[in-house]
Amino acid sequence: MSDLAYVVEDDEDLATIFSEALLAANYQVEAITNGLEARQRLQEGAPHLVLLDLHLPGVPGTDLLTQIRADERLAKTIVVIATADARLGEACRESADYILIKPISYTQLRDLTARLHST
Amino acid sequence: MLNRIIQVQSPNPDDARRRRLLNILLIGIFVSAIIGLLITGYGVFTELWGLSEIFLRTVACLVFIIGVSIIYVINKRSGKIAIYLFILLLITAYIISDTPYQISDGRSVFYFSIPIVIASLLIHPLASFALAAIGCMIITWAASTISQIPDFIVMIGFFMLALVSWLTLSSLEQALKRLREINANLDRLVAERTKALAESLARERIEAGRSIAILESIADGVIVFDLHGKAIVANPATTQLLSLPRDQIINSSIDDLIHSRTLDNKNRSVLGDLLTNPSQQPASYRVQWGTKTFSVSSAQVFDTEKTRIGRVAVFRDFTHEAEIEKVKDTILATVSHELRTPLNAILGYVEMLKEAVYGPINAKQARASERIISNTRRLLSIVSDLLDQAQIEAGKMIIQVQPFKTAELLDNVHNLMIKAANEKGLTLTSESAPGFPETLYGDSARLQQVLLNLVGNAIKFTVRGSVHIRLSCPDEKHWAMEVRDSGMGIPETELARIFEPFKQVDDSITRKQAGFGLGLSIVKQLVSLMDGDIAVNSKMGVGSVFTVTLPIVQTGGIQHE
Repeated sequence: MSDLAYVVEDDEDLATIFSEALLAANYQVEAITNGLEARQRLQEGAPHLVLLDLHLPGVPGTDLLTQIRADERLAKTIVVIATADARLGEACRESADYILIKPISYTQLRDLTARLHST
Repeated sequence: MLNRIIQVQSPNPDDARRRRLLNILLIGIFVSAIIGLLITGYGVFTELWGLSEIFLRTVACLVFIIGVSIIYVINKRSGKIAIYLFILLLITAYIISDTPYQISDGRSVFYFSIPIVIASLLIHPLASFALAAIGCMIITWAASTISQIPDFIVMIGFFMLALVSWLTLSSLEQALKRLREINANLDRLVAERTKALAESLARERIEAGRSIAILESIADGVIVFDLHGKAIVANPATTQLLSLPRDQIINSSIDDLIHSRTLDNKNRSVLGDLLTNPSQQPASYRVQWGTKTFSVSSAQVFDTEKTRIGRVAVFRDFTHEAEIEKVKDTILATVSHELRTPLNAILGYVEMLKEAVYGPINAKQARASERIISNTRRLLSIVSDLLDQAQIEAGKMIIQVQPFKTAELLDNVHNLMIKAANEKGLTLTSESAPGFPETLYGDSARLQQVLLNLVGNAIKFTVRGSVHIRLSCPDEKHWAMEVRDSGMGIPETELARIFEPFKQVDDSITRKQAGFGLGLSIVKQLVSLMDGDIAVNSKMGVGSVFTVTLPIVQTGGIQHE
């Protein structure tokens, strides 16, 4: 089981907080701040978990979600959506594993991902 | 011509009538005298009469011609004098033309009957008696000159004639007076009616003029269609708003108007529906007409007898407002994102400080971090509430109906609120009634928002005890979410007001509990958008129960926009 987690979030502060939460959950974290870079990295690595913001510059988060779900290599990757748009979040219910609506608390994310890491 | 000769000007109608009659008699006598002269002339040629006879006849005719002419002239000025002179002329003529014998015997009954009737006719109905008396005196005088006893039968005949004359003419005068009164009344009535009609016409003209002036000067476009849907009125603003010449609007049909090339299919159907809407209630829609946005309202027009006579459509230029609305929407969306993101960052960093991610902190620092966290959460909830309220007011809140797991709803709410409950030492429990559906249709995000709000309130206002969530079906067509607490309760007088925006039970409690009075108002509005109802039951010191009842929906889709 890989310890790798991608935090795909364009807001640097939120990326820092989310990364810290995932680090606290014992993940090896890579923070990615734009969609294009995220697309590239997803083709290379096979993270255990992707924390995905839906509003991203470059490639929209929903496209990245489709990309992950279409990639057999990433079949076991857990996708946690992090969005401020509840409506958009709901639309991903079928393909995402978890949907978190911003504001997302550090402890909430840490506790959730810690649980996911241990399974 | 004859009428002009007879006519006399007098303000008194009786006087005029008498003088007119006198003129007729005068003309009659004048013509008779002329004929008498002609006959006398004939007698001269045929030597029918002797010379003295011819002389007397000629003088008599001339006297009458001159006499009636003078009286005619006097009658033009004074009726009274003319009438007396005329009667005097008649009496004198009789006295002169007859011998005392003739006067005192039966002939005079015939002769004097004429002035008696004429006096009654021309002076006064009662004057007949005066003339009868004069007649009596004359025949008494005539009889005395020939030493005879006057004929009393003749005298009685005079008075009988005077009596008949008086009765006839007084009733005739009465009838004439009545007739004049009736005529006067009629004239007055006609005058009044004419005046009223003229006034009402003038008023209508003024009102119609005023309506037209208003119609011509307002900025809204007004088109009136007749029963066949043909435009019969269009004010100048219409021309300007629709960018169509007035004569192209007038006489065109509703169909022509909605098939204008400036409308796209969607707006065409909206305008078509609006202008053919058979409802009696006025309706109003927004229509995009080229680059302009109109608020179009339409209503049927009825006359005073409540008969439908057509339809009126009012076009208001809404372009500017629509632009402002669009800007407002953009600002709302931006503010929503721009406010939440930094608040989320504050929340995250403080949590990390408190969780000692960046190194150990002392008890006071931990306490301060907690305060920052709780205040940031409060601020976030205010921002969310304000944005929700703004969305609801703008009619932008969309209820998206999809299948959802009822257990998941309960779990989510329980997981999100258990910490807050535990921190206050409260127990938070939840259950579904036996047989409650596992899956329902609804907007799970909004349902969760409603339930979170109710549970959040319950925790906020409960000092000790429990908060319990229960899902059940009160009947076959409805399901319910119930939140029961053992809190302080809500006074009965306040129950009805708690769902109003910015209302809280007690200001002092509000400050202590750090609430913001939008939550329950939003809950109620969301529940209404989902075609549901919210009710509250509360007992002071015992607790409150909030129950949201919703229809069991069978299919998905967008329920409300």
